Amino acid sequence: MNIIWTVITAAALAALTAVDPQNVLSVCLNSCSQALTYALGLCAVYCLWLGVFNVAERCNLVQSLSRLLSRVNKLLYGNLQQTAADYVSLNMASNLLGVGNAATPSAIAAISQMERGDKLSRNGAMLFVINAAGVQLIPTTVIGLRAAAGSANPSDILLPNLIATALGCAAGIALVFAAYGRAK
Amino acid sequence: MNYVVPCLIVAVLVYGLVRRVPVYNAFVDGARKSFDLSLSIFPYLAAIFIMVNALHASGLDVYVTQVFAPPFQLLGVPSEVVQLVLLRPFTGSGSLAILSDVYAKYGADSYVGRCASVIMGSSETVFYVASVYFAKTSVRRTGWAIPIALFCNLLGAVAACALCKIM
Repeated sequence: MNIIWTVITAAALAALTAVDPQNVLSVCLNSCSQALTYALGLCAVYCLWLGVFNVAERCNLVQSLSRLLSRVNKLLYGNLQQTAADYVSLNMASNLLGVGNAATPSAIAAISQMERGDKLSRNGAMLFVINAAGVQLIPTTVIGLRAAAGSANPSDILLPNLIATALGCAAGIALVFAAYGRAK
Repeated sequence: MNYVVPCLIVAVLVYGLVRRVPVYNAFVDGARKSFDLSLSIFPYLAAIFIMVNALHASGLDVYVTQVFAPPFQLLGVPSEVVQLVLLRPFTGSGSLAILSDVYAKYGADSYVGRCASVIMGSSETVFYVASVYFAKTSVRRTGWAIPIALFCNLLGAVAACALCKIM
């Protein structure tokens, strides 16, 4: 991340300085205020979901969910600590239900439970790859945009989308197994 | 589909009531953590947004797209959607804007339009996810995680273009 971000940002800012020097600072500052607005929006979304998650946790619903998904979890992550397993299950359920907003706070909670050192662990990498391979099953935003653009059948991309998603996700899981080995 | 999430929320609250959990207190305790969480995400978001906006404002994104179009065409990705494939890992809102452009230019039901839709639907903003997920941890070295995720998104894009030809 250090190398990627620095190289791209430095190159882009240098190019912008050459093209339009007055705008460099305002682009940077606008980006920061955009980030602040975005973070506040996320704060609202996380507020709702973390609240609901906590209610579900207190009445043992999350524990039941992680018992339901324990076989899948065991296959992907090996022996997880109970709290981490709960959050991983919550993340999986949110993804399958297509609630991307709820998937993020549960994934962050799970990763905070798993990671102690400065190098990402195998299970952290697995959780990240599953989420970053685009596990969302029904692309509601895209279907909405197509409908708005006057498509005759906005949801006819569902099947190819499902196959492409499944392919990417399966390849991701396989590559994590290849790079890090089996779960312990 | 419109009913799944609302029903789920109501069901959790009602179940909490049945199990005699102090639902109100539990909700507030959980919700309290959101402020701290979004605060720790903020600097990472700022870094990503500076990179994306600088790329866009300098016109470097268009240039990079032109350079990368031929190799992508070899993989079966039409040049009209190369920009989407390249920018998708960095920005969600930016790639949605590109998607709308593609619809306006070529139509939502054209081959290019459907390719772009499936690429958008089957991929994720990898760099954004990476910065947000690791914000609250001590992780500094992510090893294979980001390359693997980027490769999967590329694979998804190539598969999307192939699938849209036959479906």
